[in-house]
Amino acid sequence: MTRLSRFFLYFILVVLAVWQLPWCYAFLTVKAAPQRFVMYSSLLGDFLLTGYEEGIGLTRHDTQGRSYTEQEVDSLLPMFYMRQLVADERFPDSLFGQPVSPREVQQTSFNFRMRPSAVNAPASGIYFLLESRPKRVELQMPDDAFRFTDEGVEFIVMETNTLDAGKSTRFTEALLAKGFRFPPRRVAGNPTTMKEYDNGYLLLDADGRLFHFKRVAGQPYVKALPLPEGVEARHVFVTEFRDHKLLGFLVDSRHRLHVVRADGSIAETGIPAYDPERDDFTIFGNQFDWTVRVASPGMTHYYALRADDYSLLKTFDMPVDGGEIPGLSFTSPYDQYVRPRF
Amino acid sequence: MTAILECKHLTHYYGKRKIYEDLNFEVPRGRILGLLGKNGTGKTTTINILSGYLKPRAGECRIFGENIQTMSPAMRRNIGLLLEGHVQYQFMTITQIEKFYSAFYPGQWRREAYYELMDKLKVAPGQIISRMSNGQRSQVALGLILAQNPELLILDDFSLGLDPGYRRLFSDYLRDYARAEGKTVFLTSHIIQDMERLIDDCIIMDYGRILTQQPVRRLLDTVRRYTCHVPDDYEPQLPADEFYHPSVLRGVMETCSFLEPADAERRLTELRVPFTRLESEKINLEDAFIGLTGKY
Amino acid sequence: MLKAILYKEWIKLRWYALLAVLVTTGVAAYCLLRMDRAVTLRGAGHIWEVMVLKNAIFIDYLQFVPLLAGVLTALVQFMPEMQRKCLKLTLHLPCSQQRMVFTMLAAGVLVLVACFAVNVLVMLAYLTTVLPAGLTLNILSAAAPWYLAGLAGYLLTAWVCLEPTWRVRVAGLLVGALVVRVYFLSAVPHAYDSFLPWLAVFTLALSLLSWLSVTRFKAGRQD
Repeated sequence: MTRLSRFFLYFILVVLAVWQLPWCYAFLTVKAAPQRFVMYSSLLGDFLLTGYEEGIGLTRHDTQGRSYTEQEVDSLLPMFYMRQLVADERFPDSLFGQPVSPREVQQTSFNFRMRPSAVNAPASGIYFLLESRPKRVELQMPDDAFRFTDEGVEFIVMETNTLDAGKSTRFTEALLAKGFRFPPRRVAGNPTTMKEYDNGYLLLDADGRLFHFKRVAGQPYVKALPLPEGVEARHVFVTEFRDHKLLGFLVDSRHRLHVVRADGSIAETGIPAYDPERDDFTIFGNQFDWTVRVASPGMTHYYALRADDYSLLKTFDMPVDGGEIPGLSFTSPYDQYVRPRF
Repeated sequence: MTAILECKHLTHYYGKRKIYEDLNFEVPRGRILGLLGKNGTGKTTTINILSGYLKPRAGECRIFGENIQTMSPAMRRNIGLLLEGHVQYQFMTITQIEKFYSAFYPGQWRREAYYELMDKLKVAPGQIISRMSNGQRSQVALGLILAQNPELLILDDFSLGLDPGYRRLFSDYLRDYARAEGKTVFLTSHIIQDMERLIDDCIIMDYGRILTQQPVRRLLDTVRRYTCHVPDDYEPQLPADEFYHPSVLRGVMETCSFLEPADAERRLTELRVPFTRLESEKINLEDAFIGLTGKY
Repeated sequence: MLKAILYKEWIKLRWYALLAVLVTTGVAAYCLLRMDRAVTLRGAGHIWEVMVLKNAIFIDYLQFVPLLAGVLTALVQFMPEMQRKCLKLTLHLPCSQQRMVFTMLAAGVLVLVACFAVNVLVMLAYLTTVLPAGLTLNILSAAAPWYLAGLAGYLLTAWVCLEPTWRVRVAGLLVGALVVRVYFLSAVPHAYDSFLPWLAVFTLALSLLSWLSVTRFKAGRQD
């Protein structure tokens, strides 16, 4: 017993050392990693890197190393610096032979971010289904919440914490009627009123099939969205961008990113790989091109996509100084769980 | 007489400070043995080793033939332990503490021995021990040991914090009990007078060693204090194993010795000590202890 | 004999146990009361929303309460043993010293578990009336590592308290503080779910440390 106790004490000391010492070292030797903001310019046909460098100040250049002034960058990224250009009265009337207006830019620009810590997070299994065609302009949170069971969907009236059996049956039957098999593997939606409109939920059912699920005028709306041949959906994300073109994104088992268009059709993008469980993912989109940033451990990839067919225009990779010291940690920037990991 | 407790080659240090080296002694069955020593000679160290709460640097102690460090729980049944200051569970009442201890000593627990003592205390059964006087606490601790009825009692400084009445009460009660039941007792006390009434044998410790171990009667029969007149500037240089701690004050030398008066006088003459008017006297245990261990 | 050991621990702990139940349950009840006020003022829907969308758990005040309860339990239980080395009496009893030490620890753990169980029952009694099972579980899952921290705090304090030397006590406090940190790394519901069983085993194993202290006590270690 004494030996076991002593062994256990040593075990604790080793664990604490392996946990705390690398952290102390990292804390003491921390260096601010140079931050770069990278955007694709269709006018230039290249990425523009804006960043701050010790002793030099702000730098702006492209992947070939050519430098640009602030004004030049503004004009090379007219969609992104629209407000600045309008203020300077330099905003162009047309781009690529297409007439553009600030209003149009506002309507078609979006950004989207998905962190691995949001993907790898515990879920309560409680969701809110907003009315997607509200009588008033503003969206409103519903009076009930819903959850999935092995047999169906249940709506619970929040004020009384009781089941709304009628509504539950109606929505369950609507899902079943479209071939939905409970329980769902993934439930994706943005149940918040801080958006312009509501796209409801994208669901992956027990068989991995994709469904669009929302509430329209109080009634269930369910639509099966057939996946292209060979695509096995893993993650879905719902978007509510101003241009109403998309329902959301879908990532398949081979880490390919697809867009789910408003009509339910699915198109593969030119992004070679995105693993939502590991990569920090950002899109800055406008009506001509998307700049996609996929930050993997050790390497940040930048992809430029055409906005119309999502084909790949250009790629730029930037290695990230990992600088991670091996050791034990209990938390991770990649998820919200607490468990030991090396 | 068989030894109930024996310590062999005990050596202990605190850090680099040596307490003693190669200490040997044994306690025969049925005797009350007192360990006498000045502060810092290792009395508490010895008690701690004997009660199993100090691992000596070297050597071993056996009680009932079993090594203390690896003693089986059942053996402890027959050892009564009184901690320095009569420490007992302060948060219990006298009834609770009796109830608690009795569960550990089925078959040997003598409830009436405990309550006989408690009845004399004039404390309410519900009073907790922390609210009692030192004297009352010593009676609780003693009562518990008597009720436990062990073969061997180890008592660490039983007189600490007690007024003379309780000291007398404690030692008398303990002596009667031990004599009547043939118990073996190993004890220390810093008040030697109490010991004289109580103990059969004594071990007198000096720094790092045992000065003597013998029955108290024999010690008091043989040890004598010698006084004689010497010149004022005389500095005694006598063999330490014959004349203990000689000191000169205003032309009078005082020393202790186990030598008979005639032998003492002969030795002093042989040693060319310029003495006159040699006197000897029998002394009590306290004086013998001081004489043998010195005042400093 | 077992009964007698528990009897002694009970005498030491009974008033404290009552206080611990009252205070911890009081804090839990206060959290629920605040929650109930929010339900009254802003509607149950609001509570549900912030719980789902913002991972709110409404019992944040409770976070360090079980830890405190655990630490105090150990102090109440083991300070009297260390006072004037009373532990010598305990270890001198004719009972296996290991059994003695672990029974004493079990007594403390039992008191804490009972106290925490009252907390959880009170929470369940209210929460199940206003929340669906999923959200009630959110709250309890966030509180689970805190309650485990209560047990860890208890066992670590027992270890430090029983330790005979101040040098090792101070080191033990440092180690204990770091160990306890592990229980407070996230207040996100279900964050500890997969780790919790292992953490529970680890927590109970912390009782082994007290045995180390006792062996050092028996060897007479001093500063």
